Amino acid sequence: MPGSRPSIDTAIYAFLRRIPTGVLWLIVVLWSLPTLGLAVNSFRTRDNQRGSGWWNVWNDGGLTLENYDVVFSASTTAGLKESLLNSFAIAIPATVIPIAIAAFAAYAFAWIDFKGRKWLFIATVSLLAVPLQVALIPLLKLYVSGAHWTIPFLDKTITLIPDFDLVNTTTAVWLTHTGFALPFAIFLLHNYISELPGDLFEAARIDGADHFTIFLRLVLPLSIPVLAAFAIFQFLWTWNDFLIANTMAGTNPDAIATTIRIANLAGDFGRNEHLLPAAAFVQAFFPLVVFFALQRFFVRGILAGSVKG
Amino acid sequence: MQGAILTGEDLSKILSTLILIVVAVGASAALWIGANLLFNQVRASWTRFNALAGYAVGFLGLLLLQGNRLLKPNGPDSDSITRLGELLWTPLLGGFIFAALAVILANNDNRTERLWIASGSGLVLGGLIGIRLAEHARPDLEVLPLLLSTVIFGGIGAAAARLRGHSPLRAALVGGALGWLIGGFGVPELGDGSALEAALAAAVPGLAIGARIGLSANADVVGRARIDAKSRGWIFLIPALFFVAVSLIAPTLITIWLSLKDQDSVDFVWFENYGSVFTDINSFDVGDWTSIFTSSLVILGVLIGLAGLAIGLVLRKRTGDGFAAGGPAFAPLVVAAVLVVFGVMSVLRGTIMNNLWWVFTVTVFSTGLGLAIAVLADRAKLESVAKSIIFMPMAISLVGASIIWRLVYVARDTSKSQTGLMNAVWVELGRWSTGSGIPTVVGTLLVWVLVVLGAASVGRSLTSRTYDKLPLRVLATAVLIWIAYRFTFDGIGGFRTNAAGETVPDTIFFVQNQPFNNVWLMVILIWIQTGFAMVIMSAAIKAVPTELIEAAKVDGATESQVFWRVTLPQIRTTIGVVVTTLIVLVMKVYDIVKVVTNGNFGSQVLANDMFEEAFLFSNTGVGAALAAILFFSVLPVMVMNIRRMQRET
Repeated sequence: MPGSRPSIDTAIYAFLRRIPTGVLWLIVVLWSLPTLGLAVNSFRTRDNQRGSGWWNVWNDGGLTLENYDVVFSASTTAGLKESLLNSFAIAIPATVIPIAIAAFAAYAFAWIDFKGRKWLFIATVSLLAVPLQVALIPLLKLYVSGAHWTIPFLDKTITLIPDFDLVNTTTAVWLTHTGFALPFAIFLLHNYISELPGDLFEAARIDGADHFTIFLRLVLPLSIPVLAAFAIFQFLWTWNDFLIANTMAGTNPDAIATTIRIANLAGDFGRNEHLLPAAAFVQAFFPLVVFFALQRFFVRGILAGSVKG
Repeated sequence: MQGAILTGEDLSKILSTLILIVVAVGASAALWIGANLLFNQVRASWTRFNALAGYAVGFLGLLLLQGNRLLKPNGPDSDSITRLGELLWTPLLGGFIFAALAVILANNDNRTERLWIASGSGLVLGGLIGIRLAEHARPDLEVLPLLLSTVIFGGIGAAAARLRGHSPLRAALVGGALGWLIGGFGVPELGDGSALEAALAAAVPGLAIGARIGLSANADVVGRARIDAKSRGWIFLIPALFFVAVSLIAPTLITIWLSLKDQDSVDFVWFENYGSVFTDINSFDVGDWTSIFTSSLVILGVLIGLAGLAIGLVLRKRTGDGFAAGGPAFAPLVVAAVLVVFGVMSVLRGTIMNNLWWVFTVTVFSTGLGLAIAVLADRAKLESVAKSIIFMPMAISLVGASIIWRLVYVARDTSKSQTGLMNAVWVELGRWSTGSGIPTVVGTLLVWVLVVLGAASVGRSLTSRTYDKLPLRVLATAVLIWIAYRFTFDGIGGFRTNAAGETVPDTIFFVQNQPFNNVWLMVILIWIQTGFAMVIMSAAIKAVPTELIEAAKVDGATESQVFWRVTLPQIRTTIGVVVTTLIVLVMKVYDIVKVVTNGNFGSQVLANDMFEEAFLFSNTGVGAALAAILFFSVLPVMVMNIRRMQRET
């Protein structure tokens, strides 16, 4: 009714209407509190961490970089430096090699004519359905003792893959990542590469270029965006992985990844509890940098990666 | 700082790792590029291609024999460099013979001469290799199996070629050569034969293969183009196919095979491992199922559910559409479903039930919260900031997230101050509600103000005659009244009354208290995955055509009606994507349980159980069976997902 005085229930309802935005920011605050708490604690001394909650930081004072210093010095059992190097030794090959191999295969599936191409492509992509737990036992056996096959009836054993003694090395970890990444990488890259303009390749073929040249000179440069999206996804996946690193090289201190180091630290009966916040932040540093610097690519990679098995 | 960040030792480690990677990548790249360059020659120069290909075949073949110690060693074993030389020089030199032969054949188009040259040199080369075979590889030839297998394999080759409409002779030669090799080296004992027998066993297949090569003419232009195309397909595919076969296909089959064997993978036990998983009290404990009917969660859920059902049925009679999403019956039914599932799952225990509980809870809450935040953020200021913060946990590892939440859940001795956020809040709440100071008065006022607000929203629904949200508001108000009542009279939060009748602080052991510690673990994954659900659904909501929404608004729809009746049906496929993705992901949950409880306190899940059985208890059979159960339970969802992806592309 125009002109009438706003009644009390209208005033209450006007307040209720603002609740959704309030709820959103309340959720945002709740969402960031756990991380904030760990971040604050990573700068507090051991006694402060044990004595009071992180929200008392203004009263306690005494912020220090000591935890980070200890985490970085290799001499302590809580040292992360060695495992950071291992994580790079795992994540870099596990990102670069699948990209190359998958790009070859995606190009072949998209642009080289051969019999059974479609069937082979569907079979490869279907392997996305395999959860990686299923492959762990045989793969570990492969790294421990190679692959041997006893021919039925003849009772002769032949060696298919010799024993390279890869178990408990970073090589075993990135090899495993490489295999597991391929179905998804091929699928993602194929989607993109098969949409590239075919006339271009046809013209190059007529000019006498072979597939190898076309791939190197035309396909790779044109596919940079999808290669970047996959690289970011794969780097984060391998950097943050725990299961594969733990299965293939979880007991060798010279080869363990940061995630395992931190998990071990957490199961340490609380002796190094005060170092955990700093260690967790060191581990999360590179992913967070990627997240904030390359958010657009990151989102694209995560969205595309959601189907990975 | 305690000295330089990187010591010499670290540098040498970095260097050796780098060298390893460069060598591995470089060698693979060289092999791949080499293969490409080799087959580039098919169209450029036929002779050069034959020379290179001949060398490659000879080198690799001889390397394989020498590497497996099937050829006589070239000298006594000594240090590794010399050994490498001894390994390589036969293949290196032998390659030239093969290359020379290939060049001769490539430049000779006379059919008779080709046949003579090829089969003759095949005979000689085979014989030479046979004589050079190491003593332990010499076969003690048995005539009957030798001839039998040659005839059988030759026959199979000829028959196959006939069926495909090719000339049977060439295939018979290849089949016969294979049969001779199998009959010569596969059947008899190796190591007892003479050099002559070895030569015979190797020379005949050489002759046959040579004849097969000699019979075919040099490829013409069309043939060369075909070789070029076909080889290229394989070169581009072989690296991928190799890795996929070795790390996915073969292991999956082997795991299923191993799951049918005993714990040392020796004898077949068929489905005993699967049986033991389902009969083990730790993985499947439904003995207490009668408690379902006395569980307060279930009773409450059933009551609310019945109310929702009644509302829906009445509405259907009146308007014909009683159970629409966002309608009055929707909220009570959802709340009832969650309550009943939680009630049932807290009674039926074990690894398998835990996994189901995880899948239900994380999928429902991540999807629901993600959708809610996407909608709320859609019209908020600073939308991208809010979304970034919700999405950030996706960048952190599951291990890191577990560490973050362990700190939130910490429960300390009640005589000390709490360092975990949740217990601190809980204890403080108990102190307020049981105390008598200013905070208690303020808190009491606050909760009753909330009750008034809730009642006002119920009243608003009644006076404006929009009943869509009424049941939800009634439920929320009822919860608020209960909290306010407890706060004012009994007290609520972390306190208990001790033996002396005093009120003392009390904490919750979020990680240890069964069975709801599982829910607190699930909260960690919900915290991570909500961002994922939100980002996908936010993109879908933005893609809904604005004309549709404008048209609905012109027709007088309220904002919530627009959401439930226009936006939601438009993003149904996207919700399906999120739900299926989450189901698969949650089914495999591992890291969180491993780090926070390691499966203790009744929080075991399939993936952690599988890891422990297979790698800690060396019980390969049960471990493989658990992995296979995981595989078969995600298979239907993944098949759906892949089908959808293929439709989209």
